[in-house]
Amino acid sequence: MSEKPESYEVAVERLEQIIDRLDSGQAGLRETLDLCGEGRELVTYCAAELDAVGEGLKELKLDELAAKLDTPASPGTT
Amino acid sequence: MDGEAISAVDAAAKPGPDLPGPFGVGRYARKLQEEMRRRARVLLIGEVTGVGRSKVQAYFELRDGEGAVPCAIWLDDLEKAGLPAGGLRDGAEVVIAGGPDYYPGGGQASPSFSFRATHVRLAGEGDLLARLEALRKQLKAEGLFELQKQLVRPLLPKTIGIVTAESGAARRDLLAGLERRGWRGTVVWAFAPVQDRHAAPAIAAAIQGLAAQPQVETIVVTRGGGSLADLWAFCDETLCRTVAMLRVPVISAVGHERDATLIDDVAAVACSTPTHAAEAAVPLDCRAARGSLDRGVASLHRAAEGAIPARTPHLVALARGPARALRREQLALNQKTREIRAASERGIAERLGFQRRLATVVLERARRRAAGPEMERRREALRQAAVALRAHEPERTLERGYALVEGADGEPVSSSADAVAAERVKLRFADGEVGARIEEED
Repeated sequence: MSEKPESYEVAVERLEQIIDRLDSGQAGLRETLDLCGEGRELVTYCAAELDAVGEGLKELKLDELAAKLDTPASPGTT
Repeated sequence: MDGEAISAVDAAAKPGPDLPGPFGVGRYARKLQEEMRRRARVLLIGEVTGVGRSKVQAYFELRDGEGAVPCAIWLDDLEKAGLPAGGLRDGAEVVIAGGPDYYPGGGQASPSFSFRATHVRLAGEGDLLARLEALRKQLKAEGLFELQKQLVRPLLPKTIGIVTAESGAARRDLLAGLERRGWRGTVVWAFAPVQDRHAAPAIAAAIQGLAAQPQVETIVVTRGGGSLADLWAFCDETLCRTVAMLRVPVISAVGHERDATLIDDVAAVACSTPTHAAEAAVPLDCRAARGSLDRGVASLHRAAEGAIPARTPHLVALARGPARALRREQLALNQKTREIRAASERGIAERLGFQRRLATVVLERARRRAAGPEMERRREALRQAAVALRAHEPERTLERGYALVEGADGEPVSSSADAVAAERVKLRFADGEVGARIEEED
């Protein structure tokens, strides 16, 4: 796996598939090593996603966010 | 300019379309008033806005999501209605009875249209429920209940937008619910009034504002419980249509379980409490997910570490396999070689014997072929010798009448002296023997 997963849920689903396959004992050596490599990348991605929502609650007001991003806070606002 | 002025004069001079009149406008205004007053008297329900009073009447607008009507009620009638103090106020949901009216104006007063209310009462739960039900049917028929539910809600949003009152328990409860999920991402607050005539447009604007921020993945709209009238802003048609059309999932947590507002119907998920809303906004229990991820890491580690050792015995066995097979093949080859050699030797011996026998036969035949005439000659000589020998045999002589004298010992007696000496002899004739006694003649 070299591309970033589409989302956390996609990554977790694939990770579960990989672990099921490895637990089944049906994978050959090459497949096992490939799956382990892919699994490690998925774990890294998932851990980063969890870390992103685990460091501490950040609170912003919509106006502050809009000002930071230079986007309108309400449909009529410029 | 000159051209425009001339055109206006020309238009005034022409008779215009073929219509009745022209009538005096005052007369027309009075006729219009009569027409209006003849129209059916009805009940209207809506929200009061822009309340004002003169010395004799109160005036206001009655509106809902589709439109508004200017209304007026004589103060006497208002008093008779018996509304509670301040009952006719902006934001109040009321039911009025009356009909359209037209004030033609006067020399100084401006003309105006209004719905002349003769009675007014605050809208009851039944009135609101009836309106709500009608709106619900309409929006459902338009398919607006399904649009949000078809959106994919992220399992683990990093940024959540929340629309609620700046002060209130809902805000605190929602944060507590998120904390229990182990979620500590980014919350973007869009505060809005949640209970007055300004609430619905403000809430709609807040939701749209949040949806315009690219990083906001889910929006929660929440407020505490209350009467249907208190929650009426969340049944606003414009607000609900706005929510239905958004491409960001909206989670509603308005009121308590028994409070069914229209926004609950159009939202992606309707929750009965802010805590439930927190779980809907972050479907993944982050604490459990971290534990699960750790277990996944352990599984991968085991699989990766065990992949080669688990296969080593097999590999070793496989590595020995070729040597064993080679040895086996070598033994088999040796055996075959021996067998071939033995068979070859046997074959050679047999072939040699065969060849020898063949040679013997051939040589014999050759010898016979070569010895044929010689043998014939020898046989002829032999026959001749046999004839000659036969001619010398004693038996031939005896056959001619001669007799052979033999002594007792069987030796021939060839002289007379010997015969005298022997006294007894045998006389052998061709057909047998006879004894004889020799007597010496005197």
